[in-house]
Amino acid sequence: MGISGVREFCRPQSARDVVDLLAKHGDRAVLLAGGTFLHGLFARGLGSGVEVLVDLQKAGLSYVKAANGGLALGAMTTFRELAESEAVQKTAEFAAIRDALQYPPAQIRNQATVGGCVASASSLFDLPVALLALDGSVKSLGPRGPRETTLAKFFVDYFEHSLEKGEFLTEVLLPKLPPRSASAFLKLETNSNDLALVNVAVRITLDQAGLCRDARVVIGGGVGKAPVRAVSCEAVLKGQRPSRTLFESAAQEVSSDIQPVSDHRASGQYRRAVAKVYLRRALLRAAERLGVEIA
Amino acid sequence: MKQVIALEVNGERHEIAVQPSATLLQVLREELDLLGTKQACDAGGCGCCTVLLDGRAVYSCMVFAMSAQDKKITTIEGLPKDGKLDPLQEAFIQAGAVQCGYCTSGMIMAAKEFLTSARAPSDPEIRQAISGNLCRCTGYHKTVDAIRMAASGR
Amino acid sequence: MSKMKIVGNRVLRTDAYDKVTGGKSYTVNLRLPGMLHAKLLRSPYPHARVLRVDTSRAEKLAGVKAILTAADVPQIKYHPVYFAPSTAASMVRDMLILTSTVRFAGEPVAAVAATRTEIAEEALELIHVEYEALPAVFEAAEAMKPGAPQLYEHAPNNVVMNPSFSFGDAQKGFDEADYVFENTYRTQRVHTCYMEPRVCVVDSDTSGNLTIWSSTQHIFGLREKLAFALGIPVSKVRAVKPTYIGGGFGGKLDMGFLEPVAALLSLKTGRPVRLEHTRYEDFITTARNPFEVQLKTGVKKDGTFTARWAKSILDTGAHATHGAVVLMVHGFFGFLLPYRCANQKWEGMTVYTNNIIGGGFRGYGAPQAAFAVESQIDEICDKLKLDPIEFRLKNAHSEGEQHPFDPNFTLSTYRLAECLKKGAEQIGWSKRLPAGAGNGTKKRGIGFACQPLWVSGCVGFPDIYEHSGAILKLNVDGTVNLSIATVDMGCGQNTVLSQIAAEELGVAVKDIRVTYADTDTVPFDAPSHASRVTYSAGNAVKAAAASAKRRVFQVASGLLNSSAENLEIVDGRVQVKGAPANGMPLADVVKRAESPCVNMVPDGMQRTPLEEKGTIMGSACLAPASNPSPAAVEFVEVEVDTETGEVKVLRVAYAHDIGKVINPPGAEGQVEGGLQQGMGYALMENLVFDPSSGACLAADFLNYKMPTALEMPAEITCQWVESNEPTGPFGAKSLAEACAIVPAPAIANAIYNAVGVRVRDLPITPEKILAALGKLDPA
Repeated sequence: MGISGVREFCRPQSARDVVDLLAKHGDRAVLLAGGTFLHGLFARGLGSGVEVLVDLQKAGLSYVKAANGGLALGAMTTFRELAESEAVQKTAEFAAIRDALQYPPAQIRNQATVGGCVASASSLFDLPVALLALDGSVKSLGPRGPRETTLAKFFVDYFEHSLEKGEFLTEVLLPKLPPRSASAFLKLETNSNDLALVNVAVRITLDQAGLCRDARVVIGGGVGKAPVRAVSCEAVLKGQRPSRTLFESAAQEVSSDIQPVSDHRASGQYRRAVAKVYLRRALLRAAERLGVEIA
Repeated sequence: MKQVIALEVNGERHEIAVQPSATLLQVLREELDLLGTKQACDAGGCGCCTVLLDGRAVYSCMVFAMSAQDKKITTIEGLPKDGKLDPLQEAFIQAGAVQCGYCTSGMIMAAKEFLTSARAPSDPEIRQAISGNLCRCTGYHKTVDAIRMAASGR
Repeated sequence: MSKMKIVGNRVLRTDAYDKVTGGKSYTVNLRLPGMLHAKLLRSPYPHARVLRVDTSRAEKLAGVKAILTAADVPQIKYHPVYFAPSTAASMVRDMLILTSTVRFAGEPVAAVAATRTEIAEEALELIHVEYEALPAVFEAAEAMKPGAPQLYEHAPNNVVMNPSFSFGDAQKGFDEADYVFENTYRTQRVHTCYMEPRVCVVDSDTSGNLTIWSSTQHIFGLREKLAFALGIPVSKVRAVKPTYIGGGFGGKLDMGFLEPVAALLSLKTGRPVRLEHTRYEDFITTARNPFEVQLKTGVKKDGTFTARWAKSILDTGAHATHGAVVLMVHGFFGFLLPYRCANQKWEGMTVYTNNIIGGGFRGYGAPQAAFAVESQIDEICDKLKLDPIEFRLKNAHSEGEQHPFDPNFTLSTYRLAECLKKGAEQIGWSKRLPAGAGNGTKKRGIGFACQPLWVSGCVGFPDIYEHSGAILKLNVDGTVNLSIATVDMGCGQNTVLSQIAAEELGVAVKDIRVTYADTDTVPFDAPSHASRVTYSAGNAVKAAAASAKRRVFQVASGLLNSSAENLEIVDGRVQVKGAPANGMPLADVVKRAESPCVNMVPDGMQRTPLEEKGTIMGSACLAPASNPSPAAVEFVEVEVDTETGEVKVLRVAYAHDIGKVINPPGAEGQVEGGLQQGMGYALMENLVFDPSSGACLAADFLNYKMPTALEMPAEITCQWVESNEPTGPFGAKSLAEACAIVPAPAIANAIYNAVGVRVRDLPITPEKILAALGKLDPA
C-alpha cells in the first residue's frame, strides 16, 4: 500500500483555493484529477510521502469552450466530455483528439481528465501527442497568478513538466487553426487497453493552391523522454503537394528525429519502423479529412 | 484519520467513516458489505470492480471514496428492480455468458452504461464497450451475444 | 441407448442467476468473526541466504497479533501439487513454508497477521531482514553449465530430472527417411490469469483442528499437502469446498505459500486468519513453464513418419512444483503419442533456475509440444508440397486401434478425420492460397492444428489420482442433493454433473442441487484438472444416481405391485414400464421411505414395511476405465499487416470428437475461452522478467497483455463429432484442454500461410513477424 500516509482529503471550491492548499502543504500534497494515473502510481507503491490529497473536481475546471477562435479545455474535463464536444466530434482540425480518445476503454474515458493526462507528463500517453500536433499550450495558476506555457516547453522529461512548485495546470488551450487544416492520430497497442508502443499525431494545413502550408508531426510512445516533434518530417512536407510519395518520404525522415527506446515491450528498431508506417498512414488519414485526392 | 462522509449507493444513503486514502472499491466491499463488486487487480487493469458513478462506468479501485460524495453510485446489487432482474442480467443467464462469474458484475455494469445511450449497437461497438473488462473464461463471445440480446429486447 | 431427455439439451447454468446478481459465494467474500488479515514478506533477491530477521519493531505495532519467520515454522520439505500424494516418487519435495534460503525474487521469508490488512502491510515494512545475496541464474541452458550457481544439493547442474523414452530405433528410422527436418521451438512463460486472486481463510480450534476455505481446484489435495507441510495427520484438516472459484485453469492446482502460513498464524492466535494475494503476488507465484523443444523428424517422400526425436528443456524456476509432471505430460501426450511412428525417442530435462516457480495451466505440457509438432508438420508439408490434412491423417491413429498409452484399452471412438473434414469445410480450406500469395499490405492466411490424441491425467499415469466419488440424497419433496468434492472452476461442472444425475434419475435439472461438501463429509475426488471432470466425476455421479434409483425401485416395487426391474422414472414419476398410468411421484416414494413405521390412515393405524425405511441415497466411489481420447482440430483465418506485423484473427472453426455433448453452450464456452487463452499465448502474453535481477516486468495487466473483446474474432464456430464413447457417462469424452492447446500452432500456421514466414518462438509478436519479413533494420 503506497499511500497509507494520507491524512487529509481536500476538495477546494475554486482554482484559487487550490493554489492556497498547495502553498500550505507543499510537497506533502498531491493533486487529484480523474485519478486513473494517480491510482496507478499508488498501486505500484509510489505514494509514500503523500499526506494530503487535493481533489480538483469542485474547482470549476470542467469545460470545453471556444476561446480566441480556438478551444479552451478545462483541466478537469473528462476524456468522454472532450470526445463528445462538438468541435472534437465534427471538425477535421481537431480530429486527432477524436482519434486519440477512441482508444481507451469506457471506464478510462469516463474518469481520466485532460489536465491529469497532460500533467502526468507520461511519454506513453496518447492525448498529449494529439494536443502537441495542434500547437496546444498549458495555462497554469500559481502564487504569482496565471501563465501560459507551450506544450512543447511543458514536457521536460519522463514524468516531469516545467511548472514550478505551487503552480498547477488549469487549462489546455488550442489555438485557432487556419482553414483547410486537418489532423489525425494513430496508435500501436498490444490489446485495446494498453499504453502506446508507438503513437503518432499529424496535422496538415493546405493553402489555396492545395500545397502543404504547414505541418506538425509528433511521435510518442517510447521514442523519447517526452513526445517528440519530428521537425525533419515537417520540413519535407512544407510547400509540397500531398501525395503518397511525399508522405512516404516525410515518414522516412522520422528516423533522424527520434531515438526510440528498447524495452520489454518492443525494440527501438521496431518502434522506429512502425513510427514510419503509422506516420504515413496518419498523414493519409488527415489528407482524406480535407477531401484531398491523393495521387 | 478517518472522515465521515455520506455516500448514496443503490438509492440508499450511508454515513460512514473512511480513511482519506480508501478507494470506493474498498468502502463498497469492506464497509458496506456490497460484495458483488469484485477486486481482481486493484490497478485499473481488469474491470472486475466496475460500478456506475452518476451513471458512468468507472473502475471503483481508481476512485477515492471521498471523491464519490454527492454522486449516485450503482453496483450490481442495485440493478434488479422490484425483485426483477435487469434485462442485461437476464440476458447474461440466457446467453450462457457466465462461467466463473468473477468478471460478471463488472462486465454487466460496463454494459449497463453502454446500453443507456447505445441504440441497436453493432457487435464492434459492443466489443469496444467491454474492452476495459478482462475475462479469462468465455472468450467474450457469449458476453457479446448477451449484450446484443439485451439491447434488442428493449 | 434410449432417447435422452436432458443430456445434450441447451441447459442454463445452475449458478448463473446467483452470479449475475453479484455472486456471493467466492472465498474472497468469506468473513468470519474475529478474523485477522495476513501478509507475506517477500525477498527482493532472486537467490540469497537470510542471515537475520528482526521482527521486534513490527511486533510493537498496534494491531499486530502474530509474526512468523522460518525459525517459527516446521521445516518439512513438501511438494505442493494436488493430483498426486506427497510421497509419490514423481513429487520432488523441495519447498518450505518459510525459508532461510530464497531462490526467486518474491519467495516469502516472513508473515504477519494483524487486525487489518493495512496494519499487516505496515508491519512488513518494519521487519528487518539481512540477506546475503548469492549468484543467480535465469536461463536453463546457463544453469546446466559447469560452474553455474547451484540451487540445491540434490540436483547437480540444477537438473531436477532427465527422463528419456524410446520406441523402436530412432537412428534406423532416420536412416530410412527421405528427408529429415530439424528445428528448435521456444515457448514463453505465461500466467493463467484467473480473475479471483488466490485467497484463503483458516480457522483453528483448541485441539489444533484446522478448517480451511480456499480458492482451490482440489480440496482433498489441499488437505493432504497442508497436513504434510505442517506435519499433522490429514484428519486434523477439514478443507471446505468453495462454492465458486473465480477461475483456476490449473493455476490453483497446488497449495500456495498462503495456506500453510495462514494455518500456522491461526494456530498461533486462535483466530481465523485470511490471506489474499495481490495481483502482483499471483503473477509471481505460478506460470506455465517455458520450454525449448528441439525437434527432429524423418519422413518418406509421401509424408510417412520414419523417425521422430525430440529434446525438451523445461525451466521450472526455483522449485520443482509441477515441473516434473509437466515435462512427462509434454513428452508423452504432447510428443510421443499423438501420431503413429515406429521409431521415436524423446529426452526431457527439468531444470532449476532462479526464476519464479512454474504451475499448472490448461493443457499442462502439451501446448508447448503442440506448438513445435504442429508447426513443424506444416513446415514439412510446405517443403514437400504435401497436403497438411492428408499428412496428418496418414500418420494419425485410427479408430479401433490399441490405445497408444494404455495397452488394455482401444480407441473405440476416435474421429479425427471427421473433425478435419468439418473444420476444413467450415473455414473454406479448399480456397486457401499458397503461402504469401495474397496481394496488398494486409494479407490473409488460413492454417490449422490438431491435438490428434489427448489424455492428460488418466489411469496408468504413475502417481496421478483419477478416481471420483459422489453421494446423492433424495429429499421428501422429490429434489436431490448431490454431494461431491469436484470444484466447479467456472467451466460449468456443476451443471453438467446435475444433468448427468437428472438424466439417470429421471428428474429435472432444477431438482438437483450440488450442495455443501468438505473433506470430512464427501468421498475423495481427484482435482478439477486434466479435462477429467465430465468423464471421471460424471461416471461417479451417474453410478451414484443409479444406486439411488435402485433403492427407489426397491421401495416403490411394493407400492406399485411391480418388480423393481420393471420400474422406471420418467419426469419425476416412478412408473411401471409400459404402463405409465401405474405410477406415483418420486417425492411420494421418498416420503414413504422417510415416513414413520406406522401411518395413520382413515381406517386407523397401518404399518408400513421396515424394509422401506430410511433416506434414499446413492453413492459411488470409482476409478474410470481410462480417459478415452478425444480429437481436436482448429482452423483459423488471420490477417497480417505486412508493414507493421500486426495480426488479426478473423475467423475460427473448431471441431472436436467429444463423444457426446452434455451441455452445448457450456461446451462452446470452453472452446471460446480456450481460444482466448491460446490466442494470447500465440500472439501477446509474456510474463517477462528482468534478465539481470529476476524482477517481474509484467506483474500487472498494464504490462501482461491478454486479448480483450476487441482482439477476439467475431466468428467462432464449434462443431461436435458425437462418437458416443461406450465408457463415458452417456457417451461423453473430454474437452477442456484440447481447445486451449490448438490455437497457438493453428495461428502460427495461418500466419505462415498469409505472409510466408515462420516464427518459431512464442509469442509471435508483430515485431518478430516484421523481422522475419526482413523489414526491420538491424540494431
